[in-house]
Amino acid sequence: MSFLHINNIKKRFGDTTVLKGIDIAIEKGDFLVLVGPSGCGKSTLLNMIAGLDSISEGELLLNGERINELHPARRDIAMVFQSYALYPSMTVAGNIGFGLEMRKVPKAQRREAIQKVARMLQIESLLDRKPGQLSGGQRQRVAMGRALVRDPQLFLFDEPLSNLDAKLRVDMRTEIKQLHQRLNTTIVYVTHDQIEAMTLATRIAVMRAGELQQLGTPQEVYDDPSNLFVAGFMGSPSMNLLRADIVRHEGVLHARVRKRNEDVLMLPIERDAEALAGWEGREVILGIRPEAITDPASAHHDGRIFEAELEVELVEPTGADMYVVTHLGGREINARMRPGTDISAGTPTRFAFDVSRMVAFDPDSEARIRHT
Amino acid sequence: MPSSPPRHGEGRGRLQQWLPKLVLAPSFALLLFFVYGFIVWTSYISFTDSGMLPDYTWVGLEQWSKLWRSWTWGIALHNIWVFGLLYIVSCTVLGLLLAILLDQRIRAEGVLRTIYLYPMALSFIVTGTAWQWFLNPGLGLEKTMRELGWESFTFNWLINADMAIYTIVIAAVWQATGFIMAMFLAGLRGIDGEMIKAAQIDGAPTWKIYARIIIPQLRPVFLSAIVVLAHLAIKSFDLVVAMTGGGPGNSTAVPATFMYSYAFSRNEMGIAAASAVFMLAVIAALIVPYLYSELRGGRS
Ligand SMILES: Nc1ncnc2c1ncn2[C@@H]1O[C@H](COP(=O)(O)OP(=O)(O)OP(=O)(O)O)[C@@H](O)[C@H]1O
Ligand SMILES: [Mg+2]
Repeated sequence: MSFLHINNIKKRFGDTTVLKGIDIAIEKGDFLVLVGPSGCGKSTLLNMIAGLDSISEGELLLNGERINELHPARRDIAMVFQSYALYPSMTVAGNIGFGLEMRKVPKAQRREAIQKVARMLQIESLLDRKPGQLSGGQRQRVAMGRALVRDPQLFLFDEPLSNLDAKLRVDMRTEIKQLHQRLNTTIVYVTHDQIEAMTLATRIAVMRAGELQQLGTPQEVYDDPSNLFVAGFMGSPSMNLLRADIVRHEGVLHARVRKRNEDVLMLPIERDAEALAGWEGREVILGIRPEAITDPASAHHDGRIFEAELEVELVEPTGADMYVVTHLGGREINARMRPGTDISAGTPTRFAFDVSRMVAFDPDSEARIRHT
Repeated sequence: MPSSPPRHGEGRGRLQQWLPKLVLAPSFALLLFFVYGFIVWTSYISFTDSGMLPDYTWVGLEQWSKLWRSWTWGIALHNIWVFGLLYIVSCTVLGLLLAILLDQRIRAEGVLRTIYLYPMALSFIVTGTAWQWFLNPGLGLEKTMRELGWESFTFNWLINADMAIYTIVIAAVWQATGFIMAMFLAGLRGIDGEMIKAAQIDGAPTWKIYARIIIPQLRPVFLSAIVVLAHLAIKSFDLVVAMTGGGPGNSTAVPATFMYSYAFSRNEMGIAAASAVFMLAVIAALIVPYLYSELRGGRS
């Protein structure tokens, strides 16, 4: 029995169906991140778990108990909002303690709980201030304090970091992760930042237009995307997606990719070969992560490496890495190489493809082609 | 449109620069003369021996001391105090309640909002006359109830010297409540929805969400409402004239009717001028700090 079970949940606003049957189950201590483009229904789903939006169809189970109709205050959950939603007329201490006050916790006990949380979040010196006198990052901490102080069964976060500047966002991300590990809480977290999703989650649910695309660990979602959308959405820079024909060459299945000139590149099929055998003579979309295309010296030799010479079009050093752009299958292709490698635009260079990390998709249905 | 030759353009540019000032100048001059000029003139008259006609003999504070010794002025001040307090409190409380009810996303909101706002579109004379008929024992409510068979029904506040001031409160509240409601409704709509969701999750019942979180945030709206209502109350003249004419006796006299009757029927222009200057001072004491804080707030 899972801890939180979202069972075929649907949401309709009038005639439009915003969530089309979402199935997710997580265990106690999981950090579930809902990602997806804007408007795909992440906030709606979170609000339904909180009890702020009604559930049109399906069942919501927390700890094995159906909570569809339970009032938000009685679900034993806490939520952190994107706008922080602090009460402007109360002090920081008043904000943090409001939930306890409403639950009639005695004053002395309340003060102690507020102190403890304030210490944990390092906002003790701010307790007497009003939210209007705080910086964005401090407000964010207060909003977290308000959630933490009640020690609920489940935490909900709706894009809590999206109003912070880039540096603070990274710091808070680390802090949330530490908090999760230390307190071993169960969290459902909404974001449309896929780096946040990858770093925080124990499980990621990728959503698109009200449908669940894939549910899995960050590594599964990254390495084993279930369709073209997930492949393109997760990862930055994103996965290279190029057109290829599946052919048999010297008895071995290959993906044939066109270079800029009329030449072709033959990449041996390593992964999902059984399923791809059925695609012989047809076109597929090939997915290769930038880090699976490198310079031969830094190639991972536990994978199956295939080397080829291609013309470099552009070199983009980022400091930590060097992204090298070339042309394959009618598309610009990003390769990640060791910084300082002596490569310049316009020269033919050897690229090493880790073909064991290559995936293929059906160009019509956009589904992953793999053994089922 | 293609651009005109530069020579013409320059002339037109200068004209365009001056035109607004030229157009506004006459009304500005009139305003300066009729409003501020007469304020100065009235203040001066209050220190003269004017009776039926202006008389520029300086008498110092004599008219002012007559004013403060006048029995009717005492009644007028008492009435404006009772009226003003009840009017401001009732309009604010009722306006807030109506706004909260309308904020529950009920279906007929648009229609109801219009209905509540309509009285504000009527002139005070119309409101006063309508309520005068409605509350007149021989014409309105009392007569109707008796005709319907409730023989002992009595509602004669309008002709009762002790109660007549309250009928004016009723009519005035009826007129302004819708407007105050609209102000509060706008304030309520400006509150972050996530904050209310957060309070729900925190376990606050609806009335506590209003009392602890929403209403404290409406402070600026309260301030605006009170300033608007207070100056309406002090200026109240037409409503009183239409409903009771200041009577029975002097029982519903207010400073504005006092000033009118001293200036135009009792031929005591000096006292009337003193009362007018006093009213101006009270309104200015209310409005000036408010406008100052509003304008300064708008700039920062
Ligand atoms: N009250 C409502 N009535 C009708 N449609 C709604 C309502 N609330 C949300 N929607 C629609 O539901 C869809 C999902 O909205 P939701 O807020 O859940 O998106 P989201 O994934 O959180 O997006 P974002 O990343 O921009 O926050 C949107 O297309 C939105 O227009
Ligand atoms: Mg959202």
